Amino acid sequence: MKTTKILLTAFITIVFSMTAFSQAGDRLVSSKSHIKFFSTTPAEDIEANNYSSTSTINTSNGNVVFSVPMQGFEFPKALMQRHFNNSDFLDTKQFPNARFVGKIVNLDQVDFSANGTYNAQVEGEMTIKGVTKPIRERGTITVRGNSIEINSKFNLTLADYGIEFVKGKPASNIAKTVEVTFVGEYQKQ
Amino acid sequence: MNRKKILKIVAILAVAGLLIGGGIGAYMFFMPHRDIQKSPTDFALTSSELVAEYLNDMEQANQKYLSADGESKILEITGTVAGITEDYNGQQVVLLKEPGQVAGVSCTFMQETNSNATALNIGQSVTIKGVIRSGVFYDPDLEMHLNAVLEKSDVVF
Repeated sequence: MKTTKILLTAFITIVFSMTAFSQAGDRLVSSKSHIKFFSTTPAEDIEANNYSSTSTINTSNGNVVFSVPMQGFEFPKALMQRHFNNSDFLDTKQFPNARFVGKIVNLDQVDFSANGTYNAQVEGEMTIKGVTKPIRERGTITVRGNSIEINSKFNLTLADYGIEFVKGKPASNIAKTVEVTFVGEYQKQ
Repeated sequence: MNRKKILKIVAILAVAGLLIGGGIGAYMFFMPHRDIQKSPTDFALTSSELVAEYLNDMEQANQKYLSADGESKILEITGTVAGITEDYNGQQVVLLKEPGQVAGVSCTFMQETNSNATALNIGQSVTIKGVIRSGVFYDPDLEMHLNAVLEKSDVVF
């Protein structure tokens, strides 16, 4: 009787850990990524780069998540970087990470097991400076052997996230809408 | 005569003011980035200690380590090399993480210091200096703990 109980427990444990494992197997983690901000106005072009975000993609349900350490954005000029971080702009001490949580909505058109480039539509929510907004993006997914690369380029309106300048140099030199480029590489397990 | 003298002084002051103002403006505009490796270290600790501090109280750790202008604390982290990878900018990334811990410290090197990262071996104990960009926390959407991020790193010999 006791042995049956132990065997049953062991069996249930194994089944549970197997399902947990197979789910984890569909979720790919990447810490190799590049996010670029680009702002253009008649006064000047400003670009910032970040190479340290972490993201996951789930190839079976299409979930895409990324978390971006905001202080990792690097600007060509030190003063710009200070402005970007300070409490009037992105307040990175208070809000150190931006995040995106979304889903590939046309997952049926993406085959993660065959090499090729697929168009993807992603819908989700972007949280910057503690403000969450719905967002739709277009991107491409490139499958090459064991590696999957996601590319996306979209526009963000700064005022949507409570980032507004009314006067001074930032108001004239920073565009109201900035272009964001995302590249991430994932390895199939 | 007297009036001329006053005018002269005013002119000199105006020119000096312009030069100083312009100088400060130019300095601000061309201000170089902080040289992390040449700047003094603010805190020296082990990767486990930093991870534990963040897991214990993230708010408090952020108050301690992050600065509002983005020029956050410079740390020297001692830990075990758990991985060496390369980012999209061709920079080496060394993960310091103790076996069995949920998270570690990810240290991004620079073009100038890359060779010191590639010389490291997995399992080796090392001290790395860099600037902290973000801390350790559990992200419920990513379903994982995020590593702390150090950038502008180099090995401390």
